[in-house]
Amino acid sequence: MISVKNLYHSYNNDKNYQVKNVSFEVNEGEIFGFLGPSGAGKSTTQNILTGLLRIQKGEAIVAGYNVRDMSKEMFNKIGMSFEQSNVYSKLTAKENLDFYRKLFDVPTRDSIELLKLVGLEGKENIKAGNFSKGMKHRLTFARSMINNPKLWFLDEPTTGLDPSIAANIKSIIKEKNREGVTVFLTTHNMFIADELCDRVAFIVDGEIKLIDSPKNLKLQYGDKLVEVEYVKEGEIITEKLSTVLEKDKKSLQNIISRYEIRTMHTKEATLEEIFIKVTGRGLI
Amino acid sequence: MKLFYSFIKELKLASRGYYFYIELFVAFLILFVFLFAVPATFDSKSSEYIYLDMPKEAKDMYLEEILYKDIDKKAEVVKVKIDNEKKDALLYITEDKKIYVLNNKEDVIDIADKERKTSGIIKIDDENNVKYEYYLQGYESQRLKNLLKILHVEEADTLKEVMDNQDVRSISTNYELLSDRENILPSVLVFNGSLMGLFIIAAYIFLDKKEGVIKAYAITPSPVWQYLMSKVGVTSFTSIISSLIVLIPIMGFKPDYILLLVLLIVTGFFSSSLGLLIASFYKNIMQAFGVLYVVMMLMILPNIAYFIPSWDPSWIKIIPTYFMLEGFKTILIGNNDFIYILSVSGGFLITGIILFVISNERYKRNLLE
Repeated sequence: MISVKNLYHSYNNDKNYQVKNVSFEVNEGEIFGFLGPSGAGKSTTQNILTGLLRIQKGEAIVAGYNVRDMSKEMFNKIGMSFEQSNVYSKLTAKENLDFYRKLFDVPTRDSIELLKLVGLEGKENIKAGNFSKGMKHRLTFARSMINNPKLWFLDEPTTGLDPSIAANIKSIIKEKNREGVTVFLTTHNMFIADELCDRVAFIVDGEIKLIDSPKNLKLQYGDKLVEVEYVKEGEIITEKLSTVLEKDKKSLQNIISRYEIRTMHTKEATLEEIFIKVTGRGLI
Repeated sequence: MKLFYSFIKELKLASRGYYFYIELFVAFLILFVFLFAVPATFDSKSSEYIYLDMPKEAKDMYLEEILYKDIDKKAEVVKVKIDNEKKDALLYITEDKKIYVLNNKEDVIDIADKERKTSGIIKIDDENNVKYEYYLQGYESQRLKNLLKILHVEEADTLKEVMDNQDVRSISTNYELLSDRENILPSVLVFNGSLMGLFIIAAYIFLDKKEGVIKAYAITPSPVWQYLMSKVGVTSFTSIISSLIVLIPIMGFKPDYILLLVLLIVTGFFSSSLGLLIASFYKNIMQAFGVLYVVMMLMILPNIAYFIPSWDPSWIKIIPTYFMLEGFKTILIGNNDFIYILSVSGGFLITGIILFVISNERYKRNLLE
């Protein structure tokens, strides 16, 4: 669905590239996570792929269209939810969606149905300027689905949302993906990436450091540990034991048979820990 | 159809913002001032303050002479304010001036000194010659001073005879003259109608940049030029409405409104495209304000040439508002000079298209700026 080869971009048109030699492919029907800290080049890459920035060097094919010679028809196939909400504050929620519906050449979704889907039912006649930040974000998210996109660009789709609404947004993303929509997810939130993505790319300082599935990364970089918390002679003790070393295995068996177990967890490495291990950088 | 939907959306946005109502309010305010404060014809009668320093017989003869020229053949006893005091005077109103005859020399000097009015004393010397003593303010032109010097050298009858023998012929008589009030209207049409679009469209663009909606529009299949043209459409629409609010009550149905609409639309298109181009170089209205201000000031310059025809340097004709003013005046005069109006309109249309195409290219390249 997306093919990027040796992509470079410099805002000053000099050799100081903000995106350097970036290459990756996104397969049809997958959720691809583009992960990195602020200023890593995530949004620049996404803006080039959506035509908001002119491609300078390299090749990019998006939904079958060469970005260098982009046709306006391409936008009938793609949708984009921006990190910063960008809706007309003087139009109502419904007027905002109704206007964008008329700009596409393909069948579009009903505005009221979309507002209901993102939890804005009953708010259709309120001006977007009177919405809270989270409501504006949901309206921007709803707008990105208006043309039933085959390729869906999502830039920090759950940022600033409370957990229940974020869960709703994640379930919508999963549902759309089940329907066959390819998702290009840009985020610095490793938990949402871990939960949603089939594959992730780590990008730092404009360069891709690694591309793989979260599961493979955990297997490759995670330590196989169990953290157990138990009560010994009235005292609460916490220990981390290897599930590979014979000595630790025997200790674990001993603890289970002799003491009262309070909690016990396998300790997989998180994506964030792997990111730090691979790139040597945090995600802030 | 997408252009139409964009236009309707822009109209909704405009009607829910301040700029739209400010423009309409200003139009009504101008109309109110024109109807109730600006006279149809300005009082062009000059006022003269004189004292006749001569024997009673001579004075009576002189006053009789003035009375002969008085419109109602009656002298009116009036009070003239001099240095917060009310002094008696006789007022004679002729076709081209008001003559106040004061009662003493001191009043003549005081009215010049305290009230800053030009005055004079007319006296008869020992040889029975009439002498004129003028009290000027100092700012009068050298031409006026020279005129006053020679005015009394020749006999008045001689001057009249020379003037009567001057042959003045009108080249064209196929027009009606505008009243003083109507003569200001071209200026109002240019600034409240056409040029307001320059500033307002820039304000609309910066509002969209602030809200980020340009980016959202850019990832739809609709071309950028339709987004820009819908804004031009709204600014032209509001300029037509505000112009007609002022024009119809004052001019009635005298002007050719079809020609007027053509010129309003093309000049509005030209100035809106110029506003789009200026806005494309800046991120917000604060950054653009300096350039917008300079452009607006430049556009005001031809106004001076319009009201002071003797100041009409050739370089002023480079400024587009010069032709806007002339074009609107030609329509209001009603001499049906279609060729001139259509030539001016064509010029603004072509220039507007060039500016619009350049703006479109800039917005396509720099959507994120």
